Amino acid sequence: MIDFEELKAELIKAAAAAGIEQYEIYYQLIRDASAETFRDEISGFSFGVSGGICFRCISGGRMGYAATELMTPGEMHELVIRAHENAKHIENDDEVFIYPGSPKYGQKTREADKFPDAALLKNNALALQRNTYAKSKHVTDGTQSQVFAFETETRICNSMGLDLKNTAGATGGYTRAVVKVNGESADDYDFTLGCGLDSLLPLSDNAVSGALAKIGAGEIDSGKYDIIIGGRQMQGLLAAFSSVFSGKSARLGLSLLAGKEGCEVASSCITITDDPFDPNCPMQTTFDAEGVAVYTKNVIEKGILKTLLYDLTNAKKAGVGSTGNASKGSYASTVGISPFCLSIRPGEYSLEELFRIVRSGLYVTEIKGLHAGANHATGDFSVECAGFLIEGGRRGQPVKSFTIAGNFYGLLRSITHVGNKVEYGMPSGFTVFASPAVLVRDISVAGK
Amino acid sequence: MLNRHILERVLLRAMSGGADFAEIFAERSRSSSISYVDSRIESIYDNTLSGVGIRAFLGVRTVYASTTDITEEGLMLCAASVAEAIGEGRADQNIVLSERITPNIHPVRIVPSDSLTGFAADLLKAGCQAAAGYDKRIIQVQGRLMTNDRNILIANSEGLYITDRSVRTRIAISAIASDGTENQTGSASPGALMGLEFFEEHMPEEIGRRAAEQAITNLEAVYCRAGKMTVAIESGFGGVLFHEACGHSLEATSVAIGASQMAGKLGQKIANEKVTVVDDGTIPGGWGSMNIDDEGNPARRNVLIENGVLKSYMIDRLGSRRMGLPVTGNSRRENYSFEPTSRMTNTFILNGPDRNEDIIASIEYGLYAKEMGGGSVNPLTGAFNFSVREGYMIRNGKICEAVRGASLIGTGSQILENIDMVGQNQACGEGMCGSRSGSVPVGVGQPLIRMTGLTVGGR
Repeated sequence: MIDFEELKAELIKAAAAAGIEQYEIYYQLIRDASAETFRDEISGFSFGVSGGICFRCISGGRMGYAATELMTPGEMHELVIRAHENAKHIENDDEVFIYPGSPKYGQKTREADKFPDAALLKNNALALQRNTYAKSKHVTDGTQSQVFAFETETRICNSMGLDLKNTAGATGGYTRAVVKVNGESADDYDFTLGCGLDSLLPLSDNAVSGALAKIGAGEIDSGKYDIIIGGRQMQGLLAAFSSVFSGKSARLGLSLLAGKEGCEVASSCITITDDPFDPNCPMQTTFDAEGVAVYTKNVIEKGILKTLLYDLTNAKKAGVGSTGNASKGSYASTVGISPFCLSIRPGEYSLEELFRIVRSGLYVTEIKGLHAGANHATGDFSVECAGFLIEGGRRGQPVKSFTIAGNFYGLLRSITHVGNKVEYGMPSGFTVFASPAVLVRDISVAGK
Repeated sequence: MLNRHILERVLLRAMSGGADFAEIFAERSRSSSISYVDSRIESIYDNTLSGVGIRAFLGVRTVYASTTDITEEGLMLCAASVAEAIGEGRADQNIVLSERITPNIHPVRIVPSDSLTGFAADLLKAGCQAAAGYDKRIIQVQGRLMTNDRNILIANSEGLYITDRSVRTRIAISAIASDGTENQTGSASPGALMGLEFFEEHMPEEIGRRAAEQAITNLEAVYCRAGKMTVAIESGFGGVLFHEACGHSLEATSVAIGASQMAGKLGQKIANEKVTVVDDGTIPGGWGSMNIDDEGNPARRNVLIENGVLKSYMIDRLGSRRMGLPVTGNSRRENYSFEPTSRMTNTFILNGPDRNEDIIASIEYGLYAKEMGGGSVNPLTGAFNFSVREGYMIRNGKICEAVRGASLIGTGSQILENIDMVGQNQACGEGMCGSRSGSVPVGVGQPLIRMTGLTVGGR
């Protein structure tokens, strides 16, 4: 097995031999397991252990990076040389930092879930799959359930004496119900993460009822509609455009929020918070990818932009302090900027109240194609949707195959009411997004 | 790479729980990425990926495990976990691995290496600077040059022992244009299964100018009107529409479990007779090409649809067991940590009978999608969505003003029938496709085609 301390010693030795004085060692080990079903049996079980080391160092004022999964002493020496060489070709003269550590680190509100054994994963996946089939005689082939677990151990050690360690992990489940009614097929899914394996069975109800509700969906006329965007869909939009809150994007002219701190950028009913210690956030850490303490902050407060998100380098350029939002997509990535748990704070309206306020419009429960149909640099989006008509202040007939188009910046300003139930998306690394349903007026819809 | 006798012992251990098949996929890859932003090389990093995936089958039940511990002890431990997870049976089998040599149909001349980092950085800079200098309204250029040198070994309980090396190179340049009140973007990102000799035929400056030109076009464009209309989709990356709308529905991943609208339709007419589609992993240097797939099968050229009739699915080993049909050389995975499944390679519509000028001239009112963005599909219903990166309105058979913010939605079966004109300038574009076995490079392509009755999203 990998002995991190031994590899770390080799890296320190190699750095000294190369005359490198400022460096950081970032190590990440990921363990995961998943059980998957087909019809009435476990069709697949997978598990893995992966991880690697990233060495970065300051050489001639530039930061060079190199990473590896090959955990041998010889490779550690190679790693140092490669990082050192890579730094030589960089032209970026932004000030770079190896961080000595924050005076104080916060307290996580939850620790890693216990990693389940194979039998527990399989039994729960099978129970979930059987439960989904049992919900309706219309459930058919293509229906699949999955129960999974993952655990991440992260270490940051550097030449300034910093030595931080974090372990995070969660178990979760997913079921996708496929229904066939009078020759028409539809599907829907639900998932949960970090709520314990005994919370899985209600997923079946949501997936099956969601799929059945789509049967008989019609098309709608193109035009302008008042719409309610469901919480899970709105968190997807927030995720797709989250880079507009990055201080680096703003500096590079890639965010129209540049220079807008203190200005009104959203409707007064909108507060957006980045809370790394949100109890519903299953993957928590007390430090960011540079070792800076993370903390809770309002990015937008009652419509006013309070701060952008920064790492050390971009904070320095902007003349502010790091907001503790340095991130890495994987151990091998260069440092970027991301929120931890970025959520639109809940308002006071239940979904039914929002329907009554709209009276006539659309309820969007599915948005697809955000990876391609959302332009971060402009804020424009045009995406495929499905959902329901809102008729007489109630949820009406299902509708499909329409698009909504607009601009994210404009959308934030056009939200008139905010729902009271926050829904969370699936975490990616240490980042998760969340939102309640929101009501937006006058959105362009393309249908039949 | 790993010793053959160790691999035989590991395979036997993986099968000791009663599995009827076991496979080892070992990988060592070096990837590097050079980034350019704000008029300078911003960052350079490289990464060595090293690990092994072990898979076992018992009928159509699978167990997959991956590890970065590639010592014999680590592999045996991983194999033992696979055996334990597959069941409680036992297998008495003798495995003798025998090497199979596959010809390299994608030779590489300039292999990316540490000593060429400066050379590669200069190529990227040349492309980005050309974009920045294209027009004074270009306010920002971002670029990335990525290379990947992938070495794999596949051994299985049927005695297969095969190795392969593939080198890919790609450059992506994105330009932002601004008129002071709003931003618009343009991008170009060609790549190939080649080394740095790729840039001998694809000048970085030309790639940069293409990105900048598109950003300026979009800046001057008006918002696309929404509604149903006839759409002409240009050749090259336009093929992403078939990839998403129909290609995924032909992968065994969804067909074998009945979660595809195309299940059970072999031999049936599913498209206009002008439509013939192939998936071809053998195109020399093609972005989605390979010598062997990730189960060790030689890459192949498969006709998926011939004159509108469904001829073949794309099938991996597990799909083959489930469907009772032979494998088609389409098994792929991002890396050793993913279990492989059926994926596309280079998938494209072949040239048809219509002249390109006749296609545009035939449209009274519609959209000309010169460059497509990405999209996604639900294979069950075939419902798809795409963004249009560069589009123009067509009026009275003529290409008119540029429009921005358009998206296309519909269902796969509907568009296959609605492709009613197929032109003659077939070309391929490059993309990354995400699915359950990770993100893999794919080629997409077609000639100019005409489609009726598509829903165009806009304002």
